[in-house]
Amino acid sequence: MANEVTKTMPPNTRLLRTDASEVTVDIRTPDLEINFGPQHPATHGVMRVLMRTDGELVTGAQPHLGYLHRCAEKIGENVEWLQYLPYTDRYDYLASMNNNLGYSLAVEALLGVEIPRRATLIRIICAELNRIGSHLVAFGTYGLDIGAFTPFLYCFREREWMMSLFEKICGARLTYSYIRIGGVFNDAPPGWFEEVARFCDVFERKWPEYVDLLLVNQIYVKRTANVGVISREMALDFGLSGTMLRGSGIDWDLRRDMPYMCYGEIWRDGAYKIPLAKGEMGALGDCWDRSWVRVMEMMESIRIVRWCLDHMVDGPVIGELPKSLKVPAGEAYVGIENPRGELGHYIVSDGGKVAVRTRVRGPSFSNLAVLEDILPGSLVGDAVAIIGSTDIVVGETDR
Amino acid sequence: MDFQGILDRLTAIRAPGLVASDEPRQADPKDKKDKGRAGDPFVIVDAQQLAEFVRACRDDDRLHFEQLVDLTATDPSKDAAELWINVQLLSLKFRHRLAIKALLPKTAASLPSLVPVHRASQWHERECAEMFGIRFVGHPDPRNILLPDDWAGHPLRKDYEFPKEYHGISCE
Amino acid sequence: MAPALMLVQEAAPVAVGSGSNAFLEGLVAALGESLPLWALWLGAAVTGVAIVIGLISLIAMFSVWLERKVAGHIQCRYGPMYVGWHGWLQSIADGVKLLLKEDMIPRDADRLLFMLAPALVLSAIVAAMAAYPLAPGVFFADLDLGVFFVIAMSSMTTIGVVMAGWASNSKWTVFGAMREAAQVVAYEIPLGVALLVPVMVAGTLNLREASELQSDWYGMGWFMFKNPFMLPAFVLYFIAALAETKRAPFDLPEAESELVAGFMTEYSGIRWSFFFMEEYAAMFLMSALAAVFFLGGFESPLTWAAGEFFGRELFVAGVNGATELNLQAIPYHAVAGLTLLLKTFAGIFLMMWLRWTLPRVRVDQVMTMGYKYLTPLALVCALGAALWEAGKQALLG
Repeated sequence: MANEVTKTMPPNTRLLRTDASEVTVDIRTPDLEINFGPQHPATHGVMRVLMRTDGELVTGAQPHLGYLHRCAEKIGENVEWLQYLPYTDRYDYLASMNNNLGYSLAVEALLGVEIPRRATLIRIICAELNRIGSHLVAFGTYGLDIGAFTPFLYCFREREWMMSLFEKICGARLTYSYIRIGGVFNDAPPGWFEEVARFCDVFERKWPEYVDLLLVNQIYVKRTANVGVISREMALDFGLSGTMLRGSGIDWDLRRDMPYMCYGEIWRDGAYKIPLAKGEMGALGDCWDRSWVRVMEMMESIRIVRWCLDHMVDGPVIGELPKSLKVPAGEAYVGIENPRGELGHYIVSDGGKVAVRTRVRGPSFSNLAVLEDILPGSLVGDAVAIIGSTDIVVGETDR
Repeated sequence: MDFQGILDRLTAIRAPGLVASDEPRQADPKDKKDKGRAGDPFVIVDAQQLAEFVRACRDDDRLHFEQLVDLTATDPSKDAAELWINVQLLSLKFRHRLAIKALLPKTAASLPSLVPVHRASQWHERECAEMFGIRFVGHPDPRNILLPDDWAGHPLRKDYEFPKEYHGISCE
Repeated sequence: MAPALMLVQEAAPVAVGSGSNAFLEGLVAALGESLPLWALWLGAAVTGVAIVIGLISLIAMFSVWLERKVAGHIQCRYGPMYVGWHGWLQSIADGVKLLLKEDMIPRDADRLLFMLAPALVLSAIVAAMAAYPLAPGVFFADLDLGVFFVIAMSSMTTIGVVMAGWASNSKWTVFGAMREAAQVVAYEIPLGVALLVPVMVAGTLNLREASELQSDWYGMGWFMFKNPFMLPAFVLYFIAALAETKRAPFDLPEAESELVAGFMTEYSGIRWSFFFMEEYAAMFLMSALAAVFFLGGFESPLTWAAGEFFGRELFVAGVNGATELNLQAIPYHAVAGLTLLLKTFAGIFLMMWLRWTLPRVRVDQVMTMGYKYLTPLALVCALGAALWEAGKQALLG
């Protein structure tokens, strides 16, 4: 037994059960290789990071993906345009509205269909509400990673309302498929806009609780400041986007800089700002900066929603589309600002009912690549904080 | 800068490997078969010089494409002789994008890796490699990323046949 | 001389367990004629152990229920609501579930150590519990080295934890065990030194006697108010006690987001619940020590009033010289016991409150805090308190 075991093991391995005399014990201590995941509370899904540790110090890290690979891109080549929409819900399941929006915009870029103004505004409201919900989960679960349980439930209290708002408008709580090619599925039920306005008011009152309870908590600051620093150069080189970029102090937001729908108009009205990390608590680009950006963005989203409510118009909510949708031949790439960064859809059509290629550029996928570089040198506790601060959704990295 | 401006600049700096450009156009009313083309304009680049081209785009101070947003491939059809490599570049400074297409023969699907230019392409190339069977020469870590290490075939190729079983698990 | 020296002189020759147990002796004197002596002693011992174990289970169950309620209400929800009134039977239901669970031991685990570890942890805390005085006249063991005994026994649990971590043969559990060992070693020092401050003022290590010493000022003569260095010492003690009992923000050995469940990762069912019970019993003991040595123990104005009204002696000399149980004093002892219990649970509540509010500190920060801040501060407190007491004695005679 022991012979078989020792043969298959690399040299310098120490066996815990020494019931045979052949087993040699080496006093050198090799680094501990430890599987962080795929079943681990802090991997936000099923991701595996193969970590090499020397005591509490991480000396190497190698992320392994693919545990949640559901072949979204292959499915995109086999189902009709509209049929693919429910699949978009499932890659970043915390921001399904935004995924629907990204895909719809990409297809619309080929179609050239006109979107009614009311549909556009409802789209923005939904996308921004979902951004709030997504950031609430990101911030709440980040608190969990750091060891604070209660802020998580505070965040979910508001997210619950947000989800029931979506339930009222489209019947689903997580996978909406509400934003369709050409507009949105149906008009908002009576009283929905008023309830959204009420949600905005209440959220504005509750929001300082997150800041006071967690964001400026000294233990939280000590845990996240100067941890997992991503420099500006690194952020650009790795193709990071969204909150990760802004967390590193790069002033970039697709909503403002490459406006789609009427974000440009809202910006010109001065309704929202782009929170930009300044490295208040430590080095610029640390975990605290990233979480700060997320918390601040929630309030900006509330402002955008308010603007849309104020400028709501009557009219149809879906453009004129044929029953059997054929998309003109061509190819288009549309990137939108998802809660996690730039969600890109690269779509190739040959003029038929089915796409030739549906490429999904998930922001988490690019954001996660940076782990290999920033994990080594941190402590095991820091590793959790760093992985949490990248705010990955594994459904999106694996698609 | 709009696409025409970018194209002019690329020609002016003699960006290596620039072959042609393609812009959307209306269908020609005289030609019944022509459906026109919708979508984004893009440039066509020689695949073997793609890395150099992207480097030139990054380093030029009027293009300043400092981010590689996406790198992927497309298999246009089962009969096509060539794969496309699609690269999306983004300039944060000048707020413009550039779509690049490189044609790569299916029989010799190999090109220099873009990792030395943009680290961002590291994982995208790994995904591309496993999904399309493209070899990125000089890639530092050429393992499968989404698929299991022992997966046979390249799923996103149009001639891919779904396996009947995987390690005794029926796939039908 | 300074009380610290008196303490050494008095305490040194006394061995653990040799303290007089007035309650038992009183009982023997009262019942001695009707039963043989050995039966009485045996009966008392068995009853004592049974009561301690029962008490621990009761405390653990109540604390778990309390923890869930506290957590629930802090987190804008109700906590358990269905089993009994406000879910008060929830802990019993959970206990039954844990008992019925499959007893799993990992294949590559060291079976003997794996099974021994929870038992060691629990027995250590049961032993420590023996020093807890139920009432001024009712206790299991009236130890002259009470504080020392409790701290020694509760640090014994660390051995069990390290044992569990090692025996599970999993990397996460080893991480948890090593963290526990490092943390307890680091925080044992400030804990002991901070506790030395009231011990020095009291001049005794005996929990009952320390409590008695605080009965002046109409039951408000708590050590807390008797020395200006007592309040910082109390804060230091409380922080160190949090670390000692592995409670948030120092719950690194079982940090669920980092180490899955730390040293408990491979445990399930009743063995796991032993660790769980140990945690709550340790919390209880640490809070009890804080209550006795900082917050007046049994003493409160109510206790004082009850003592004045009902009398304090549980055993009095009867008409013909025999010792008799003084039934009249029972309300006083009940009030005193409840007072201590209340103070203890106030400490537990504070621990729960902190746990559900604060994030977890990092492992290097735990060490830094223990060695660089708490230990020197505790030493300063001890020195200051000693000087204060010496000065007081020199001035007031």
